[in-house]
Amino acid sequence: MVETLYSVAHTLVVLLLGLLGPLVPGSGAYGPFLAVWLSYLVVGALVFAVSLVNVLVFIWWERKLLGRFMDRRGAMHVGYAGLLQNLADGLKLFRKQPFSPREADDLGYYFGPTAYLVISIAILGFLPISFGFSGGAVPLSLLVALALFSFAPLFIFIASWSSNNKYSLIGGMRTAAQLVAYEIPLLLSVVAVVALTGSFDLNVIVGDQAANGWFAVPLILGLIIFFIAMLAEVERIPFDLPEAEAELVEGWSTEYGGMLFAFTMLGDYVRALIGSYLIVLLFLGGWSMPWGLSSFPLSGIVFFQLKTYAVFAIFIWVRASLPRVRTDQLLQIGWKRMLPLAMVNIIWALALVVWGYPVIHWPAL
Amino acid sequence: MVQVHEKTVKKADPPEDRVKGMVVYPMAIVARQFVKSLWRPSTILYPFGERLENEDFRKTVKVESGAPIGVGEIWDNYRGVHGLNIKTCISCNLCAFSCPDTCIEMVNTDAGGGKTKKCPEIDYGKCSFCGFCSDACPEGCLTMTPGYTITTNDRAHMVYSPQRLFEVYKAKLSQNPTRIALPENEDVILLDQDLCIGCNACARDCPTKCITMIDIPKPESKPGEKLPKRIWKEPTVNDPECVRCGTCISVCPRECLYWGARK
Repeated sequence: MVETLYSVAHTLVVLLLGLLGPLVPGSGAYGPFLAVWLSYLVVGALVFAVSLVNVLVFIWWERKLLGRFMDRRGAMHVGYAGLLQNLADGLKLFRKQPFSPREADDLGYYFGPTAYLVISIAILGFLPISFGFSGGAVPLSLLVALALFSFAPLFIFIASWSSNNKYSLIGGMRTAAQLVAYEIPLLLSVVAVVALTGSFDLNVIVGDQAANGWFAVPLILGLIIFFIAMLAEVERIPFDLPEAEAELVEGWSTEYGGMLFAFTMLGDYVRALIGSYLIVLLFLGGWSMPWGLSSFPLSGIVFFQLKTYAVFAIFIWVRASLPRVRTDQLLQIGWKRMLPLAMVNIIWALALVVWGYPVIHWPAL
Repeated sequence: MVQVHEKTVKKADPPEDRVKGMVVYPMAIVARQFVKSLWRPSTILYPFGERLENEDFRKTVKVESGAPIGVGEIWDNYRGVHGLNIKTCISCNLCAFSCPDTCIEMVNTDAGGGKTKKCPEIDYGKCSFCGFCSDACPEGCLTMTPGYTITTNDRAHMVYSPQRLFEVYKAKLSQNPTRIALPENEDVILLDQDLCIGCNACARDCPTKCITMIDIPKPESKPGEKLPKRIWKEPTVNDPECVRCGTCISVCPRECLYWGARK
């Protein structure tokens, strides 16, 4: 039904194999097998490229906006308006020697950030950036994405534990506590969205919003809860306790340098990208725009990315404005404020359904 | 509350309410700052400081002074690049002597008419812009101007020869006040007459030519006593013209000149 990115890649790969196959005698038997795996490779490479480019733009966007918020200019010398500054920083980190502390557990030390980055990028395979334009258009894509999203504390904890450093360990502990605590309001605010659509398919959710209006209007409370919970989930200021610079040197990534540090940094920004994507997909109508603006070819992707950058701009705005909360305040906000509000939000969504909100995909009761 | 200026007094305190005071209020302030930064340049970045010389750009940033070496909105008594009037410089060495960073060196300079004289050459890599040199300059020929565009990529380019300082002077920037007035009971140069040999070195090297050698009577030699071997002259300092540069003391071969209280 849904024309996925995979099927496009598959068509291309089959075409390529059809051209190249006759040149290699006896390769016909492996044709279908090769086509499938090469298509997965192409899709994976595309998702990886999209995420990397987006992360570069995110970091540039953050530097420029933070500069403006702080009455300065941000990166501006490398490339046009500093666009290539992040590339230069990445190259510098890439050229550094990988090392591990003497007392560290090497297996976990190298595994932790790598798995953190890989699991973060894997989520992007399930998030469509335009209709059907995702790695795998599974019917439960939202559920899969959120499930993979909650894997991060495990790998962060592995990384912090094997670094064999007090700061890392405290940062890892805090990460675990914070991410587990805020997972609950995050998921509960998603429940309200699912109640209004009756589907876990992100394509369907966006399609419903295109038909009925963005969920940011009826579920404004859910949007606020989801936004705050997402701020905590991606460990950004004011919820950056896991890497509170004043208390813990760099939090759970204290012992990392070179490319491994780049992995942690990249993982953070990929998660911020996923957070922005999810907010746009669930509440801001995804790639749909009113007045048929997104009906032009590829305009859906453009509008989707623009919305994502706008959402991330609010992340940056919050970062530039607010001070870091204390641990007790963090947990109080999570358990005493967000959780009851999320419940109220669910009841409100169910009340909307009962009062006749046009739910399209509910199975017949 | 210290009342710095009126704005400080008028500004309201942040609200007591926790959400308003700790979330809404700071975010509003930051948003206002962001909007401001869109139409008002937050800073004039250095490489574009050269644009200050552009008339059109100067209008946009309200630069009033018409100075050519990157003078922006700064005070007239700002201590920047030195200006040197080579024509009036008397090579007294007082600037180099008073420099705490030893960044001034007296170098031979073309004084016109085929003559050379010593003039200060300033290394801005060492200069701390204290202004002692221009305070000490007796002729008011070494002054500090509001120019600040000194930065280069080449360290050797930071050394300003007397000719370059003369060009700064010729730009007619506003200049700092010149020499501090000497106190009433300023020390004067005294002579130990027993040591002097009348060699004329002090009078020869005095930058203001305020020392003249006058004849002194040759004493009668008593029997059995040998007269000192010397020229029967000794220096006299014309005190109002003396700038207290100490050149005479430093060139004296017998160390017979010294600073002392006025008699």
